[in-house]
Formats: sequence, C-alpha cells, structure tokens
Amino acid sequence: MADDSVGGNNRTNAFVISARKRAIQKVSKTMGEGMLLAVASFVAIVVLFIFYFVARDAVPFFQLRGFSEFFTSSNWYPADQPGQFGALAIIYGSLMVTLGSAMIAVPMGVAAAICLSDILPFSIRQYAKPVIEMLAAIPSVAFGFFALVVLAPLLQNNGGPMLMWAWWILVSPFLVLGVLVVSDLLTNSIKDPQRRRQLYAFLLTVLGLIAVFLLYKVGTLLYGIQILTGTNALNVSIILSFMALPTIVSVSEDALQAVGRDIREGSYALGATRAETIIKTILPAASSGILAAVILGIMRALGETMVVWMASGNSSHSPEPWFNYLEAIRTLTATIAGDMGEADQVTGSARYHVLFAMGLLLLVISFISNLVSERIVVRQRKILSGQ
Amino acid sequence: MNIGTRKILDRSFTALGIGSIVVMAIALLIVLVPIITNGIGAVFFTGTVEHRKMLINEFKRGDTDKLAEEIASSDRYRSTVYKMLTGFEAELDRMPPEKKAEYKEKYSQVKPALQALLGPLPGDPEPMLTRFKYGQTRWEKAEEKLHDFLYESKWDNSNPNVMSKEYFVSRALGFEGTTLAQLFPYVKENIDHMLLPEFTVYWGFITDSSVDSHFFGGIWPEIQGTFFLAVGAMLFAFPLGVIAAVYFTEYAKPGFFNSMLRSANSTLAGVPSIVFGMFGLAFFINTLKVSESKSVIAGALTLAIMILPTIIRAAEEAILAVPKTYREASLSLGSTKWNTIATVILPAALPGILTGGVISLGRAAGETAPIIFTAAVSVGSAIGLADVFSSPTPALSWNIYNLASEHEAASQIRHVQYGMVLALVSIVLLLNLSAIVLRARISKKLKG
Amino acid sequence: MLMTADAREISQRAPAQKATRDMYIPPARKKISGGGTAHISAKEFSVYYDEFEAVKKVTADILSKYVTAIIGPSGCGKSTFLRAINRMNDLIPSCHTTGALLFDGNDIYGKFTDEVLLRKKVGMVFQKPNPFPKSIFDNIAYGPRLHGVNDKKKLMEIVERSLRKAAIWDEVCDRLDKNALGLSGGQQQRLCVARTLAVEPEVLLLDEPTSALDPKATAKIEDLIQELRGSYTIMIVTHNMQQASRVSDSTMFFYEGVLVEHASTAQLFTNPKDPITEDYITGRFS
Ligand SMILES: Nc1ncnc2c1ncn2[C@@H]1O[C@H](COP(=O)(O)OP(=O)(O)O)[C@@H](O)[C@H]1O
Ligand SMILES: [Mg+2]
Repeated sequence: MADDSVGGNNRTNAFVISARKRAIQKVSKTMGEGMLLAVASFVAIVVLFIFYFVARDAVPFFQLRGFSEFFTSSNWYPADQPGQFGALAIIYGSLMVTLGSAMIAVPMGVAAAICLSDILPFSIRQYAKPVIEMLAAIPSVAFGFFALVVLAPLLQNNGGPMLMWAWWILVSPFLVLGVLVVSDLLTNSIKDPQRRRQLYAFLLTVLGLIAVFLLYKVGTLLYGIQILTGTNALNVSIILSFMALPTIVSVSEDALQAVGRDIREGSYALGATRAETIIKTILPAASSGILAAVILGIMRALGETMVVWMASGNSSHSPEPWFNYLEAIRTLTATIAGDMGEADQVTGSARYHVLFAMGLLLLVISFISNLVSERIVVRQRKILSGQ
Repeated sequence: MNIGTRKILDRSFTALGIGSIVVMAIALLIVLVPIITNGIGAVFFTGTVEHRKMLINEFKRGDTDKLAEEIASSDRYRSTVYKMLTGFEAELDRMPPEKKAEYKEKYSQVKPALQALLGPLPGDPEPMLTRFKYGQTRWEKAEEKLHDFLYESKWDNSNPNVMSKEYFVSRALGFEGTTLAQLFPYVKENIDHMLLPEFTVYWGFITDSSVDSHFFGGIWPEIQGTFFLAVGAMLFAFPLGVIAAVYFTEYAKPGFFNSMLRSANSTLAGVPSIVFGMFGLAFFINTLKVSESKSVIAGALTLAIMILPTIIRAAEEAILAVPKTYREASLSLGSTKWNTIATVILPAALPGILTGGVISLGRAAGETAPIIFTAAVSVGSAIGLADVFSSPTPALSWNIYNLASEHEAASQIRHVQYGMVLALVSIVLLLNLSAIVLRARISKKLKG
Repeated sequence: MLMTADAREISQRAPAQKATRDMYIPPARKKISGGGTAHISAKEFSVYYDEFEAVKKVTADILSKYVTAIIGPSGCGKSTFLRAINRMNDLIPSCHTTGALLFDGNDIYGKFTDEVLLRKKVGMVFQKPNPFPKSIFDNIAYGPRLHGVNDKKKLMEIVERSLRKAAIWDEVCDRLDKNALGLSGGQQQRLCVARTLAVEPEVLLLDEPTSALDPKATAKIEDLIQELRGSYTIMIVTHNMQQASRVSDSTMFFYEGVLVEHASTAQLFTNPKDPITEDYITGRFS
C-alpha cells in the first residue's frame, strides 16, 4: 500500500492518513501518556521512598537493641552511656492524647456534621463552613503557641474552677434530659392518666434533686483540684480535638450526604421525629463513612507534632494514675522533633536510629488506618449505590 | 415515650448539633482574639525614648535632632536618680560594717532593676549584648519593670499544704531612714519624664531584621524564609500535581494499577508531618545531598511532597467539575484530546485548581514539622535568592516555636512571638479567604 | 430502503390520506445541483455498548447536500448512530462497532482514520447549547485557530462569515468580545452552529438542536437549516415530527436500534411502508 493513497478519492480522504503518520501518531500518543503516567506514578514512588528511607534508618535500631525494650520498657534515657530506649511511656502518651482528643472531637464532630447535612438551612450552613475551614487552616504552631502561652497558664492558675464550669456546662443539659427521659420511661406502663401524672411529677422532683446534688458535689470536687502544670495531656487533648474536628466534620458530612433522600423521607413518613430519623436510619446507613471520618481525624491528632511538643510538658514518665490527664506527658512525634537535633550529631548510633523506629511506627499506623478508612468508604459507596 | 418528651429530645438533639458548631466558632474566636489583639501590639504600641534611640542606633532611622532633645529632657530627670545613687553609695561607705553589709545586699538588687528600666547607668561599661544597651523600649514593659523596681517579690511557703504564693514588699521600706528612700517615689513620679512614652507605629516590625535574637527589630528574615519555602514548594508541587490530576481524570483506565496509584495518594496525604521531616533529612540531605546540611531547597522539596496530594485532589475535583459538553464541543470541532485539555478543560478548571493551590500554599507556609530538620534555623538574617540552594533560613512557623519554647528569655519577648503568630495566621487565613472568595465566584459564574 | 439517486425523486405535495397526517405534509423542495451522491453510507453497521447492541446492522446512504432527519422513540439509538459518524462515541470506553461506515468511500472506523481530521469534516451541534465560557469571537475562532489560522484579520473574516451563515451576525456583531454564556439559549445554539461552520465541515450533525429552545428560537434554527441546505450534508435528530417534515428531504425512522424505514420525507410521512412507522408518526405510541 502506497503511503499516501489508502483507498478513496483524493478530494475527501483527508481524514485517512498514511501508515507512517499513523505509527508516528501512535508512538507520540503512547509517549505522551507514558510521560503523564510517570508524573502520576511519582506519588507512588514517593510513598515507597518514604517507607524505604524511614525503615532503612529504623532497622539498625532493632538490630542493635531488639524489639522488647522499645515496646515494653518505660525507661527513656537515650543520652546515657549506655542509653536506655524504652518507649512505652512515650507510645502511651501518644495514645493518651489521641484518645483524649477523640473523646472531645468525635461526638462534637459527628453532631456538627449531622447539623450541617440535615438540620441547618443552607443560609446558615454557608457561614458555618468557612468557620470549619478556618479552623482547619490555622497552622499547628499557632495552636501550639496558644496552648503554651494562653491555655497553659489559665489551666495552671484557674484549673479547678475551669474544670467545674466545664462540668456544669457540659453535663447539666444531659442530666436534665436524662431525668426527663427516665421519668417518662418509668411511668410509661401506668394506664391511669391521673396516677401517671402524679408519679411522673414525683419522679421528676426526686431524680432532679439527685441530679442537682451530683452536679454540685462533683463540681466542688473539681473546684478543689490543683493543676500542677498547665502543659499537660488535658491541654493538648483539647487543642488536638479542635484540630481533628474539621476532618471529622467534613468527611462525616460527605458520608451523611451520600445517604439518599428517599431513606430520610421514608422515615419521616412513618411519623419519626427528625432526631429519631437521624439516629435510627441515617446514622446507621452512614456509620461506616463516619467511622472512616473518625479514623482520619484521630490520625490527625496522632500525627500532630507542634502542639504536643510545645504544650504536653515532654515528660517521658507515664502519668500516675494512668488516666491522669492533668500530668505532663510526651508523645512519639514530640520526641522525634525534640531529640533529632541532638541525635543528628551521632548518626549511626542507637540514639539516632530509635527516632526513625518511632517514625516507622507512626508511618505504619497511619498507613494501616488510611487503608482501612479507604476500604470503608469504598464499601459504603458500593452499598449505597446498591451494587 | 410520650410525644412531649420525644419533641424535647428532638429539640435537644438539634441544639446539640448547633451547639457543636457554635463551640467551634467560639473556639476559633478564643484562639484568634488573643493572637490578633496581642499581635497588633507588635506594630502599634506605646514606645519610649529608648525605642527611638534603638531605631536610630541600630537601623539609622528616625529624627536625630528630636531624639537629642528628648534625651536631654529625659536626662534632666535621670540625673537626679544618678545623683541619688552616688549619694547613697557615699553614705554606704560611711556606714558601720554590719549595717553596710545588710544595705549592700539590698542595694545590689536595686541597681540591676534600674538598669533594666532605664538602660546602662553612667559609668557602666558598654554592654556586650545589644539587649542591655537600652532601657525598656515599650511602655507596658517599662511599667512591669517599674513594678519590679518598686517591689521585691517574695514567696510564701509557710503552709506546706498549699502551693507557695507570691507576694510583694516595697523596696522603699527597706531603705527607710537612708537617702535612697526618696529614690523610689521619685522614679515612680517621674518615670514618664524619663522614658517619654509616645504612641508608636512600628511598621519596621514587618520589614526589619532582628537585633540580638529578637529583643529588638522585626521579623523580616522569618517572613522572607516562609515565603521562599512555601513558594519553592509550590514551584515543585503545583505543576506535578496538576499533571498527575490530568492523568487521573483524563487518561487513567480503571484497574489495579490505577487504584494503587490512588491509594498511594491518600497514603501520602495521611503521613504525619514529622515523618516528612525525617524523610527529608534522610533522603534529600543525607542521600541525595541536595545541600550540605539544612537548606531552603531541601525544606521546599519536603514541603512539596507534603502538599502534593492536596493539590492533586483539588485539581482532580476541578477538572471533573468541568461540564462534559465543553469536551464534546471541542472534540467535535476537530481538536485533539491533548489540545482539548490544554485549551478548554484546564482553563475552565483553572479557578478550582488555583483554589486548591492557594490553600496548599497556605499549608506549606504554616507547617513546621517538615522543616525542622530540613530547612529551619532559629537565628539568622534574611538570605539572598542565590543562597536557597545552600543556606537554611529562619521561618515564621519554626521561629514561633523557637521563641516561645527555647528562647532564653521567652517571656520577655511575648510581643514578638504574638506578632509572628499574627503574621503567620494572617498569611494563611488571607490565602484561605481568597480561596473561599475565588470559589464563590466560580460557583456564581457556573450558575451563569 | 436503500435509495439511489434516480429512485429518489424529490416529492411533490401529495394529497393527505388521513386527517391526522395533515400537519406532517412536507413542503415541496428544490432539487440541489451537485448533491445527491451517497456521502455517508452504512453497511451492516452496528454500535455496541459492551454487549448491548444500540444500533443494529444499519444499512443506509446519506445523500450529500440534502437534509436527512432521524426520528424514533427515545432510546432507539438515534444519538448513538449520529455520534458514530464523527466518532464522538470514542469518548465512551465501552462503545465499539461492527460493519462498515463509509464517508466518501473511506471507512470511518478504518485502521488509518484520524478521528481528529474526520471531526473537522463532520461537525456536530448538540442537544444543549454548549458554548465555551469564552468570548463570542474566541468561540468561533477556536476551531480555525486549532487548524492553524492565527492571523487576526483572517480570523475576523472567518468569524464574520460563520456568524452570517448562522444568521446571528446582526445580533452579536457589536459584542464579539462578550462572554458567550451571556447569550440567550437560541442565540447560543446558533453560535454553536456558527462555531461548527467555522471549521468548514462537509457534514453537519444536529442532535435534537431545538429541544432545549422555545418555539421562536426553534423557528430560527429551522430557518437556518433551510439556509444551509444545499451547502452541507445535514443530519438532524429530532423528536418533533413537524420539524422533521418541515426541514428534511429524507427521513430515517429508528426503532429499538433497527433502521425500520428510510425514505423521502414526503413518502415516509404520507405513505409509510412499515406499520410501526405509521404507528409512530400518527402518534399511536410514544
Ligand atoms: N454511554 C452509554 N453506555 C451504555 N448504554 C448507553 C450509553 N448511551 C446510550 N446507551 C443506550 O443506548 C441506547 C440508545 O441510546 P441513544 O442513542 O442515546 O438513544 P436516543 O438518542 O435515540 O434517545 C439506549 O438504550 C441507551 O440506554
Ligand atoms: Mg438522544
């Protein structure tokens, strides 16, 4: 076949091209796509490199010192001769602030997400979103500075009263609701409306008094607490929770939005209130997506460096008792950040490599949680789209 | 449950949700308000004659003649103080040894307190550190130092069950009966004549370099360093991210390989920021040796890797939001796929891509952990553009940490720290704000 | 169904057979000089989405310079067939074809076909007006620029000529630098026609070009098609049978992917051969 005459008449065969031209086209197309692919694969290569280079410097530590000390001992004296590298208290510190922030951020974040997706009208939502975005945008070092310079002295000087007020403001609404619901449920079985009303009133007063007593008693107990250091696990947990919130809110909101309108309408049609609809039908349908949100939010808290470095007190001892959030603690990230400067001089020593071991630990945890949350999201999407 | 209770529960549930959002807004305010109010104080404050003296000596800025006048007028009041001191020193010599020892001990605290307030006294040797060359430059600090001068701080630990409490004793009482007793009321009375407080607007805080590790001067080296690092990171990450997004949206075929690439992207997004720092140290500096040790380029590369996933995601979303009809129209006119992407799709997606880019720029500017080991130093002057391949740089984020946690006199320079935090937060929030505005514009435009 | 040039006489107004068909009686049409050869021919041509055969073994000739209408219930494969002609279906990964589709005797799906060059010859206008979010001028100039015209004066000439051909010049000549999205729907659609004409195609594919427009704008598009008849081979998909009878010379009726009937418009509307066609054009199902 001649190069330029592949069938047809000459007037309109302009769209038929020669074999050579076709081949050139194919090659250049493949090359172009290959180049794009190379750039896109860059991310994957970077991930591999991160794993490789962190692991490369972490492995010598385990070769030198084995696994058991790192994970089971709380003696952290890396600068001693010979050094001791028990990271248990540090790992525990990371765990503690992560859990602490999750306890604040998860209920708040999910409630806010529900609010954004199901409750607030669009006009208000427009203003709520930038608030969340701004919270996400504030640099972690600014949060850390706030924790260290504003919150820590406050906690240290007025810790007791602050705890008391927090207790009152946070718990009293729930106690009131609890009293109402319990009285209602207990009198539900009584048929006679007259007697029922009497018993209801009686229960309301009794339970109400108990609730008030509880509020007061625990409040005074908290009031008496002296916080020895404002840079402690509580401080860090509070700040971290606000840093994790935007992630939790936005990912949960996506999950809630993915639940179809028909499910909602079905529930309302059966006479459920909005809260009942949300709790009984929407939340279960979105639960896996919300779980993914929680995992991602928690990862943000676990991986955060500056706030914990500045405001956790950096004490490498476990708090006494183990749940005491008012003591100084230390986390993996802060240890890496704080010790690398000194350890860097002694590259090759266990003191240097132990920090990479910690980095590897963080990396592996974040990798696994990411995979898990991704799987969860994919699965939920499949279920919701009915495949 | 009766319907009343159900309704109350329903309302409370709504309140809980709204409450959470309100708490977030309040938290945002609680964090931002002290930062803004105190941060502004770094530029707008009541400055003393010492501040003006410092500006002329260190930065050659200001009105020399006016300063000379001011110094002369303040010296008129100060000379009385100095006279009282020399008078008391003479009196001290004449005292019996026991009494002399007692007063000497007390007097040894008075002199440094006065030096801190007014600067070096006549006859003092020229101090080595710039921070000791001047008295208090800021009026609110001067008031604190005045208090330190007037009162001695003591700790009450009489009750072992309660934390020890601080209380103050007037120094004047300690010198009752000596000539020095008049010094304290005199200084208190005439402090504003000696320091000449005046409302000051010090824009130099933004444009000056630091003097004696941020005791005086501004934060320009930090601002410039932050700019270099963030823009450097964008130079690498933005083109890469957009190209990768084009691949993912336009060329990738569904399959194992592609889903692996996507997983890699979300893995990268989840890597803790400090691990990026370790990787930057181990890879860019120790292995690739892009520089001898910490450098702007190493930090920018590390930050670039960190923001890459965000840019890719934003660009992907923006590209996917371009109506399919644009693509069809362009192709039907005989455009190639690549041409369609370059001339129709990318321009239409550009605002969205830029939004993501601007947010990432803010993130790169604000992050600290990745640059700790790769680029940041605590003290340093602004570096030239040619030095980015070899020198490290101060940066806002790192120096906020450093000044607040590691500086030897962290509590003395709170105003500088606040000023830095405000600078950083405003940079980041302004970038985000512009992104929000940009996005609002787009959605308006797409609606027509 | 396959018509040759001689067999196809341009119809004269035929007496109505049934009252319900009155409104479809096509107007008399002039014969076009130089037209009437088979410009596009399908031979046993099928289009699949994965396993699903959306267009089934179609065999037909589309005559050059005449207007061919494609009608049929929705989902019958009209768009699929139309989009197959300029290979817009390439955008859908699951889409593939069998049989032959020839353009001037060259296989559109042949091994050496460059779909980009093909699309330059076969322009398309879509159901929803889809101007680019650029100025009117840039919209029209987009195609010529792609194909190497960069001279500002020459571009201006092309833009004016195209806009005049699309009968929209008078409405937009004083705001060529304004965003095209600011035009009304009907204007936008004519702009899209102009944009297509600017690359000087031989064939114009119109996929329900008026379904998103009001009657007045629709009338303008129909007038435009009349204007362009004789200069371009035009294929128009439409749901509206009056429209088909008003603007087209021949009509193809698709049903469930099968080309049931293809005849001159006059014949198809006044004397359909196939009972399904008759049912459809009398509105007995829809
Ligand atoms: N992208 C696609 N993927 C799978 N099936 C499709 C796709 N587009 C159209 N179809 C199917 O092909 C058939 C013909 O569609 P189409 O040509 O759009 O019909 P028409 O334009 O006549 O209304 C329909 O049954 C439709 O469901
Ligand atoms: Mg269609």
